[in-house]
Amino acid sequence: MTKGFMKSRLVYDYLRDPSAIMGSSILVLFILASLLAPWISPQDPYNLEKVNLEHFLTPPIWMADGQAPFLLGTDDQGRDILSTILYGCRTSLIVAFGVVLIAGSFGVTTGLIAGYYGGRLDALIMRMADTFFSFSTTLIAFLLLGMFKQKGVLVVIIAICVADWVRYSRTMRGSVLEVKEEAYIMAARATGTGDLRLLLKHVVPNALPPIFVVMAVDLAVVIMTEATLSFLGVGVPITEPSLGMMIALGKDYIYAGMWWMILFPGAALMLLVVGINLFADWLREELNPKIERKAYDRP
Amino acid sequence: MATYITRRLIQGVIVLLCVSFICFVIFRYTGDPVVTLAGVYSTIQDREEIRRAYGLDRPVIVQYVSFIARAAKGDFGNSYVTRVPAFGLIMERFPATVELVVTAVILALVLGTGLGVLVSLKPYAATNRLIMAASLGGISIPTFLIGILLIMIFSVYLGILPPFGRGETVTIGFWRTGFLTRSGIAHLILPALTLTGYQLAVLLRLTRAGMREVLTEEYIKTAWAKGLSPQRVIFKHALKNVLIPVVTMSGLMLGELLAFAVVTETIFQWPGMGNLLLKSIYESDQPVIVTYIMLASVIILSINILVDITYAFLNPRIRYD
Amino acid sequence: MKKMLSTIFVGILIAVLIGFGEDAKGASSIVVGVDSAPITMDPGGSNADPNFSVMANFFDGLLQRREDGKLYPALAERYEHPDLLTWKFYLKKGIKFHNGNPFTAADVKFTFERLKDPKCCSEFMDIGNQIASADIIDDYTIVIKTVTPDPSFDQNLDYLFMMDKESTEARNQGKVGIEPIGTGAYKLVEWVKGSYVKMTANEDYWGGAPPIRDVDMRPVTESSTRFAALVSGEVEMISGVPVELYDKLVNNPKIEVVSRPGRRPIFLALGNKPGAPWADMRVRKAMYMAINEEEIIAKVMRGQASPATQLADSAMVGYTEDIKRLPYDPVQAKKLLEEAGYADGFEITLAGPNDRYVQDEKICEAVAKYLAKIGIDCKLDVKPKAVFFPEIIAGDKYDFYLLGWLSNTYDYRQNYTFLFYTRGQEKGYGSWNGTSYSDPELDKLFDATDGMVDKKERRAALEDLSRKVMEKIGVIPLHLGLNTYAVQKAAEINFTPRPDRWLIFKDISKK
Repeated sequence: MTKGFMKSRLVYDYLRDPSAIMGSSILVLFILASLLAPWISPQDPYNLEKVNLEHFLTPPIWMADGQAPFLLGTDDQGRDILSTILYGCRTSLIVAFGVVLIAGSFGVTTGLIAGYYGGRLDALIMRMADTFFSFSTTLIAFLLLGMFKQKGVLVVIIAICVADWVRYSRTMRGSVLEVKEEAYIMAARATGTGDLRLLLKHVVPNALPPIFVVMAVDLAVVIMTEATLSFLGVGVPITEPSLGMMIALGKDYIYAGMWWMILFPGAALMLLVVGINLFADWLREELNPKIERKAYDRP
Repeated sequence: MATYITRRLIQGVIVLLCVSFICFVIFRYTGDPVVTLAGVYSTIQDREEIRRAYGLDRPVIVQYVSFIARAAKGDFGNSYVTRVPAFGLIMERFPATVELVVTAVILALVLGTGLGVLVSLKPYAATNRLIMAASLGGISIPTFLIGILLIMIFSVYLGILPPFGRGETVTIGFWRTGFLTRSGIAHLILPALTLTGYQLAVLLRLTRAGMREVLTEEYIKTAWAKGLSPQRVIFKHALKNVLIPVVTMSGLMLGELLAFAVVTETIFQWPGMGNLLLKSIYESDQPVIVTYIMLASVIILSINILVDITYAFLNPRIRYD
Repeated sequence: MKKMLSTIFVGILIAVLIGFGEDAKGASSIVVGVDSAPITMDPGGSNADPNFSVMANFFDGLLQRREDGKLYPALAERYEHPDLLTWKFYLKKGIKFHNGNPFTAADVKFTFERLKDPKCCSEFMDIGNQIASADIIDDYTIVIKTVTPDPSFDQNLDYLFMMDKESTEARNQGKVGIEPIGTGAYKLVEWVKGSYVKMTANEDYWGGAPPIRDVDMRPVTESSTRFAALVSGEVEMISGVPVELYDKLVNNPKIEVVSRPGRRPIFLALGNKPGAPWADMRVRKAMYMAINEEEIIAKVMRGQASPATQLADSAMVGYTEDIKRLPYDPVQAKKLLEEAGYADGFEITLAGPNDRYVQDEKICEAVAKYLAKIGIDCKLDVKPKAVFFPEIIAGDKYDFYLLGWLSNTYDYRQNYTFLFYTRGQEKGYGSWNGTSYSDPELDKLFDATDGMVDKKERRAALEDLSRKVMEKIGVIPLHLGLNTYAVQKAAEINFTPRPDRWLIFKDISKK
């Protein structure tokens, strides 16, 4: 079927494109690292009993004052940087996937309805989108913090979702609008196919490809948004740092010459985001019918 | 089209009301402004008195309606922290944000599209590959990290650029500008570069992607076959079509940044609106926050409407009925 | 033609660019980077210390405080306290406001009565409501009566700045908040909110014209940016040296760091509701002894603090030197827990702000770690002060939180009434007693001091109260932060830090 065909060509192209493989490998690596964190990290940074202030601010092991087992040094609370990065990836990825799933589903559904049915429903949904888009994510995060009265990963996820679903909705709507006018849809309607079947069997599969690209890009965007929220003080709680939070904590020490607190988490964050973007780039090209790849991409 | 615009405008007003209402209601559940107003040393009775004096003991609906009624006349209430009109407070900082954001967006647009076009012509040349890699990096660094690194390199280690503030400014009428002084421009450099970073990278990639699509189109091949000079082919034919998504993206960026360049303004202590918003959030200064969100709404809505209209003109396949 | 026009244009451009250069920093001017921005130019508009710091340059109070923390005459040359409710002030003659108006008793009366208005001065309402009457005897004599006896009333007079009745009444609130008209050593040149405050010397100042003529105060709230501003030479002096960067500045040969013990004790409030594990004295002792305050000072505060023994600082009436800290002894602490029947520990939540005190969040983290090591499962609930403070004031939410308290009255009375007194409506005390700590015996001891007229007797009673509070471990005191400043050596600035962190520029000079 259509799906089967796409899949095989997709896979074929994927295996031949170095940036796609690199990008997705990086992502998989990070996911593995965060899943295996409890087993592979030298220290459990969240276990307050094991963390000692006396080890604070030690530089990486290859430098003069470095100490084992702190391979990449410690932060100012005595947490091992490497361990915190491993656990931090976990928090960052949970937030990223959480938002993409929740905002994605909500956005795609509303975009579908808006694009397909048009009229009042469309206007309602798009204006809702405008409304939520007007709120700065920082403000929402702060307000939610005040409502729930405490920080948490869930609070951050909800805060980012509030404005993030809009990009899915708008993209889906645009995509549906284009697909709606295609000949095969009109043909299907002419033969009397019901709305629901039309939607699920024809419209959605053809309108969905741009969404995959948005999802991939969004993963990266959410990770950076969460980092920014943590920087401003309204992100994840300090006892469960994410990569962004670590950078925010490390920034105070960069002028003091303790570069390891910001360099390693910063590098990890960038690597993760670059990996995601590489994959997203490939996906975007792959799913875009307008580019004649053969003619243009001569290696 | 005229009916469409009118409808959008009316819907815009409704959105505005929704936005302000949501703001209002949510504030019930967050920080208590009476504490900000009454100060640290007040007693419980003092706070009750203040609550009554500011009308904060009335039901939320009543407070909201009276707020809207006054807002319609242009009175958005006074800031709880500084006790000056909230609207004036925000508008005072408007020029600073506008100058920063416009500079950043123009830089991003010009450099982004320029480099994007260059890169798309010879995608496998070494320098161009480097530029593409850099743009990938550009969308992968959080803005605040760029800002911190720039300050570290240029202010602390090299000492050649100032790390905060706007420098000397000149007031023309009500507009306070930093463009006319050497120190004003010097102070603008680092924040503008920080803000530009991400946007530039995005526009660069967008332009390149667009150019790639367009350069393989039939009409471009025809133009080459006709023997037109490269300048004409690129700038007259190809670029025009690529610019559609680029310009719409820039418009959206402009709107969003105008409203929320918070992080850059915080790091560089840039006295703009974003900085004010953050401070007001931390001080629970409700009148300023609500007014600000409404203003941000207006900016974003107007730009969205303009973008949607432009898009409809440019892409005949999209129908708005 | 085109060429000439473009040359002219370029010429004008160059002239403009060169012409509007930066101000040179001279011997009679100073550029300072401060850690908080002024909020308003209305002295009644804010009771935050950073705002007072700015106000103190434009205005004077009836009394003033010098670097030693003691009160001296200012606009009032002397005063009397004939009975429990009455205060009589004799004003200096011949003083003029910046607009030329003479300073008289009418201005004093106006200023005090204005403090009752919630629309302009809501943060001073507690004092405003304490004023029963302000009676003008003659142009230079005024009698203030308080509603209830308040032996420390005069301690407030250094921050109640006198305003000019005529011009304040003539302008609307917005204008009053932008243009300060006072009797102070400096006049406002320009205030660009969030950017700078420029002031110039008042040559006719009653105390003599100040040595530094032009002051440029720039708020830089981001601590690393403030550091960069000093190091890059943008400013000549900064207040509030970031703790992490202290060592860097001390080791910088071009910079001199000046510090002074602060007056804000940071402490852990701990409730005593009957039935809770922490109502038991042994548990309280255990928690106190489990915390390695020395390490917190060394590692979290980077040495920029001194250990606190009680909820008062040394300049305060009620502070007594004979209270000692309990030693750090986690082994003993664990034993005490077992004795109290909590060998397996218990759960507790530590709350606190994350944007108010130096390293507040990190201190909480450290405390949680120490408690974890003796078996107490301590959860953290740290949030912005705008969310946290109202929760404290509403009360009954937390049993354990981090707080700091700076008393502007230099008198233990304020600390006790706000932080310890049993919460209750009648007297309105205990508004910051978020754990609802209650000890009626101690309250009674406190009530007795209000009627004491003899200063020595009152001081002894307050010291006794402070001692007893610490014997019962009403709070776990942590430390008093150091107030740090850093100056460019090349600027040759002469200044002594004040206990209240104000920057009063007439007391600062350049060699």
